[in-house]
Amino acid sequence: MTTSRSLTPYLFLVPALLLIGVFVLYPIVSVVYYSFTDYDISTPPVWIGLENYQKLIGDDTFWLALSHSIVYLLVTPILIVLSIGLAIIVNRRLRGIHVFRALYYIPAVSGSIAIGISWRWLFDTNGLINSFLISLGLLDRPIQWLSEPAAVLPIAMLLTIWAGVGYYSVIFLAGLQNISEDLYDAARIDGCSDLQKHRYVSVPGLRPQIVFVAVISSLAALKVFDEIYVLTNKTGGILDSGTTIVFYLWEQAFRLTHAGYASAIAIVLLAITLVFSIVNIRLLDRRAEAD
Amino acid sequence: MKSTRWLAVALVAMLAAGACTSGAAPSASAPASPSSAPTTAASPSEAPSTNPEAVIPNVEDGAEITFWTFYLSPTFDDYIKATIDRFEETYPGVTVKWEDHQATFLDDYRNAFAAGNAPDVANLSNNEGWVREFAEKDLLLSMTDNLPAEVIDDYFPDLFNDSLVDGKSYQVPWYQAVPVELVNTEIFEAAGLSLDDFPDTWDGIPELCQTIKDATGKLCDIRLTVNDYLAQMVYEGGVDVINDDGSEFTFDSTEAVEWLQTYVDMVAAGTVDRAQLVTADDRTALELFTSGQAPFYNTGPQLIREVKSSNPALYEKLAIAPFPVGRSGVIQPTSMAISVKADTEFPNASMALAVFFTNPISEVEFSKTVAVYPSTIAAFDDAFFTEEPELIEDSARPLAKDIISKMKNIMPSIPEKADVNAIVGRAVESALFNNVPAQQALSDAVAEANALLE
Repeated sequence: MTTSRSLTPYLFLVPALLLIGVFVLYPIVSVVYYSFTDYDISTPPVWIGLENYQKLIGDDTFWLALSHSIVYLLVTPILIVLSIGLAIIVNRRLRGIHVFRALYYIPAVSGSIAIGISWRWLFDTNGLINSFLISLGLLDRPIQWLSEPAAVLPIAMLLTIWAGVGYYSVIFLAGLQNISEDLYDAARIDGCSDLQKHRYVSVPGLRPQIVFVAVISSLAALKVFDEIYVLTNKTGGILDSGTTIVFYLWEQAFRLTHAGYASAIAIVLLAITLVFSIVNIRLLDRRAEAD
Repeated sequence: MKSTRWLAVALVAMLAAGACTSGAAPSASAPASPSSAPTTAASPSEAPSTNPEAVIPNVEDGAEITFWTFYLSPTFDDYIKATIDRFEETYPGVTVKWEDHQATFLDDYRNAFAAGNAPDVANLSNNEGWVREFAEKDLLLSMTDNLPAEVIDDYFPDLFNDSLVDGKSYQVPWYQAVPVELVNTEIFEAAGLSLDDFPDTWDGIPELCQTIKDATGKLCDIRLTVNDYLAQMVYEGGVDVINDDGSEFTFDSTEAVEWLQTYVDMVAAGTVDRAQLVTADDRTALELFTSGQAPFYNTGPQLIREVKSSNPALYEKLAIAPFPVGRSGVIQPTSMAISVKADTEFPNASMALAVFFTNPISEVEFSKTVAVYPSTIAAFDDAFFTEEPELIEDSARPLAKDIISKMKNIMPSIPEKADVNAIVGRAVESALFNNVPAQQALSDAVAEANALLE
């Protein structure tokens, strides 16, 4: 009786552990192994020790891709600010507000490839943006936006922000609805303006959601791939202007068939992600303690 | 509480790592070492001599072979299934399991070798370098060594020898496009041009683009072959990209610099669509032409049906100009191939299927379905190719035999080809878009590429 009872929780855990083992742990261990090999996918890997990691240090494109990924992290604070703003706006009791909430959420349920293709059309030489700017007289001739090295990354970031605001605002909306009305009443009695109310009540009340959104949106930013893949037509942009770390990983693994080298990039990305997550949480934690 | 948070961080990192693996985790099982020659089966069934399509002897009785095609389903399901049925009647006892793979074909094929379940027969691309990639790894069966000589003689020699590795062919050529220029006559007329003004050689393209841009503001829809810059240098620019013994790259010669400078000048003059110039996706360039925004587009007549279905108004204004020949004076073959994996259990049955799909009867039937052209000489004796066509998409039909006979693969074998191509790609983009002089860009690229050979 005692033995069967003590085994029961583990039996419940078995399906989940099996799934995690097969689809998470095994791939991680495999990638760690492949990162020490010369592996081209179709023939067996050959052990080469630290060679892939040594090559990474001198690989200019890797550092460029890494710098692009770090720049891409700028979407996180922008997303947080815009999402909180949107959540505050749609948290009002207005007629038809549910329709607006649904509309803002549409990008979150749309496929990233479909969104990317739509945006590619928008910024196409003959696309809506150029047509609009030309019709306003702001441009004489169309700009080839996605062939401008300086424009590729900002356009991709803009896409990520546009696609993410609706999703993250729902998280903040749920947080706002958990903040007691009493706190707003107290703030009003203390003479707070509307803006101050949100500064001193809403934002502190949303701290758990901010931590959550900061972590998951920055992880998503570090791993950005779909937007770059679609917007640059699988090239990473002229002069690698849109190449991010995961795009470079994909390019090495599947275009150049350097799966071993790509695995080394994946391990570096894993380390960066881990460190970044820890720092992110600790910083926000300290601020919470200071408040 | 704190430990829970650390656990959460660890899980987040694990999920991130999971995403990073991108499915590149094939089994550790190594592909079996290739068997250099197919064996005579234990219980061979001699091919029925009365059937002219049964040309491979000793096909293994009871063989079950898998066949992968590239992007042919569902459009050509009827044709493929009918051909397989005819094959199974020709070689009783052999069954074929057909699968069509599309955008992920190459990844699927690589992974299948790693997993030890690659198809016996596969439709590979010569142009994209797929045949060479797998042949160089000893994963494909040599057709030169194993096919009867009279079967080899059925094919255009330069197509059969399209992707030689160590002097041997690892494919039989299947269908090909005949390169032509689709011309939007409306834009040409607006630019004061006629079809006769389309240049015969690649050297005339920059001037044509300048004329069109000056008159209409339209940009040329030209693509660099981003998957194989060196081939474009060889065919367009007449460049020797590597020395005779393959020990040193030479694509920074005067001819190479002139080739690159031509594109640099076109970009500087703003006469080409920059996005299309370096795209890896030929669909977007075709879409630009199909939308009526581009004056001409280099493709095969088989894609005219896409123009016809997507933009019937443009189809009415469409004309075809001959493909402008580069400084090499020859046309690059564009054949799709069929290859057999080296360690197949049924080499004779697999070769029989490869040869069956590429015999004159099957190829003519395929050409009747879509505007692709056969790889066997005898196929062009069929009335289908000798009669005068009525539709524009068929206009290359009577010319195809002559054009295909002029196709020749003059590309030398390039070691570390994918990496060298990436290096050349960066050099080309630096010159085109970053003001690096063409000579410097190519010389730097040669130095970097030569380092790979050390």
